[in-house]
Amino acid sequence: MSKLKAVLALALGCLLTLSAQAIEQRDYHKEVIGKDCKACHDNGIKQFPSDQACLQCHDVDDLAEQSARSEEDKWQNPHNNLHYGKELPCVECHGEHVAKKPICSNCHTFKYDKHQE
Amino acid sequence: MSTNNLLGRRNFIKGIGAASIAIAAPAMAISEKTDGVEWDKEVEILIVGSGFAGLAAAIEATRQGAKDVHIFEKMSYYGGNSAINGGLFAAPQTPMQKKEGIKDSVDTMVQDQVNAGRGIADVALLDHIAKHAMEALQMTLDVGAEYHPYLQQLGGHSVARTYQTTVSCGAGITQPLLEECRKIGVHTHNRTKFEGFILGQNDEVIGVKMHDNYYFGEDQPGKTSNIRVKRGVIMATGGFAQNIDLRMSQDPTLTAEVGCTNAPGATGEGMYQMFRLGAVPVHLAHIQSGPWASPDEGGFGYVSNYSIYNFPHSIAINRLTGQRFMNEIADRKTRADAELNCRDAKGDALPPILITSYKDSKKHPNTKKVIKYNVGWKFDSIEDLAKHFEVPLTPLKQQIGEYNEYVKTQNDPQFGKNMTEAKGKFIEAPFTVVRLWPKVHYCQGGVQINTKAEVKDSLTGKSIKGLYAAGEVTGGIHGVSRLGSCSIPECMVMGMTAARSIMKA
Repeated sequence: MSKLKAVLALALGCLLTLSAQAIEQRDYHKEVIGKDCKACHDNGIKQFPSDQACLQCHDVDDLAEQSARSEEDKWQNPHNNLHYGKELPCVECHGEHVAKKPICSNCHTFKYDKHQE
Repeated sequence: MSTNNLLGRRNFIKGIGAASIAIAAPAMAISEKTDGVEWDKEVEILIVGSGFAGLAAAIEATRQGAKDVHIFEKMSYYGGNSAINGGLFAAPQTPMQKKEGIKDSVDTMVQDQVNAGRGIADVALLDHIAKHAMEALQMTLDVGAEYHPYLQQLGGHSVARTYQTTVSCGAGITQPLLEECRKIGVHTHNRTKFEGFILGQNDEVIGVKMHDNYYFGEDQPGKTSNIRVKRGVIMATGGFAQNIDLRMSQDPTLTAEVGCTNAPGATGEGMYQMFRLGAVPVHLAHIQSGPWASPDEGGFGYVSNYSIYNFPHSIAINRLTGQRFMNEIADRKTRADAELNCRDAKGDALPPILITSYKDSKKHPNTKKVIKYNVGWKFDSIEDLAKHFEVPLTPLKQQIGEYNEYVKTQNDPQFGKNMTEAKGKFIEAPFTVVRLWPKVHYCQGGVQINTKAEVKDSLTGKSIKGLYAAGEVTGGIHGVSRLGSCSIPECMVMGMTAARSIMKA
């Protein structure tokens, strides 16, 4: 019996380790943040990061510049868009551990080829 | 500040049912605990919802002298459905009508709406809104909203009286209104969900429960606080078109498969809470579908405003017959019903097409967009068009020929369309075409209000003290079918009205 328990414990341990490793993380975040969950989860590990968390490192003006479009499509800029300007929280379109679609795709067919889900 | 909430949500609701004995609370200082309510905060005016109605209410209240106005929004972003709507604003006797030589009046605008309301619209409210529409339009101009330099004649309107923002979206109004709110010191709070009212000894609204750290559609912890209001609460929480259960309880045909133009947050909890207080539910089953929407994109997209602009000088064609099947500028319900009847031999949906001369459609900025993003198409000949959509060519050609006669004679014997705006605009190649299929768009129903934006109590017949409502959350104003571009003036005027009433109370 004790042997079985040990096996179970081992198996469970492996599973836990696996699930911990299985948490998705962007490669560049791995390099900069590593495994410091609290770097983003500023409200506690079980809660989503606050809307300010990403802005510790990312600057919305820079992002808006990077994702700017031509004059006629200027309001399709996800970081400075027609509907919400620069105020849309990052997590509406980006998930570190889960894939997300841009919120624009609720209503529009235009594409963001470089969008990081 | 205390975070200790002695009353659970369930007890609170029970309390309301039992004439609010449990939560009756006399006047008290902040954070003082009496009869189970512990106040976490006190504000002068509290507005729930940040669309046209909420933003206009906040600005008007501040203009009237309010010093401590707070807007609470459950979503992570501001603007509600207003931020993604069409940005169309109807008003009578405007500067642009003067410039274009269009004769119009408050009465004419009201009569057009009464007709579409099919006898059950609220004439007093429509009259109040039309009378103040120009004032509301002026508020948007004051804060920097910009409009196309031409008017449009939307379905059901007897004259051209509709302004549209240059960005062809309500965001062209909500963004400057929001900016103005912040400039004048209105406090804005996002991710904060309204959870219910707190009543005083005489069942008047003296506060609300607010849940912070709210993530729409997600399960996240957050704390509920009791916020005391000095003057009152303005509910500007919008419609419920995105609440599939609720809309199906009113109209079982509006299943999850039916598209919807609304922002995801349009789910109606604010309205529920007012019903729990005793507000009168009016016309909940009258849920409008937009006949200008496209099955080729989600929500409102680009096509909706393209079609709204082009309907007056376009023909809508049933692809099975190659014939017109409706007056292209009838009211929304007439058109949506007609479109839903466009079916193939097996009875499956066969979305009809809207054919417009490119020379006329290209005047609107959305024409470029619909073509670029493959939700609309351009054809050099009628043969190409007919082949692409599998429309029988001969009847189609004949229909276009007949319609062009109506353009010439300014008379449409086929469907009685008002041809004024179609003058000189013959259907000629090259063409632009979109497909049409109705999407759930607007809830005519909601809580009953009067022309002071006060909410009526169904049991006493009197206004509920401390409570005001404005915008789509209110019901009965438009009756069976709201005319396009009449919601923005309604939201803004009733938001401003609520602010004026609350400052006078």
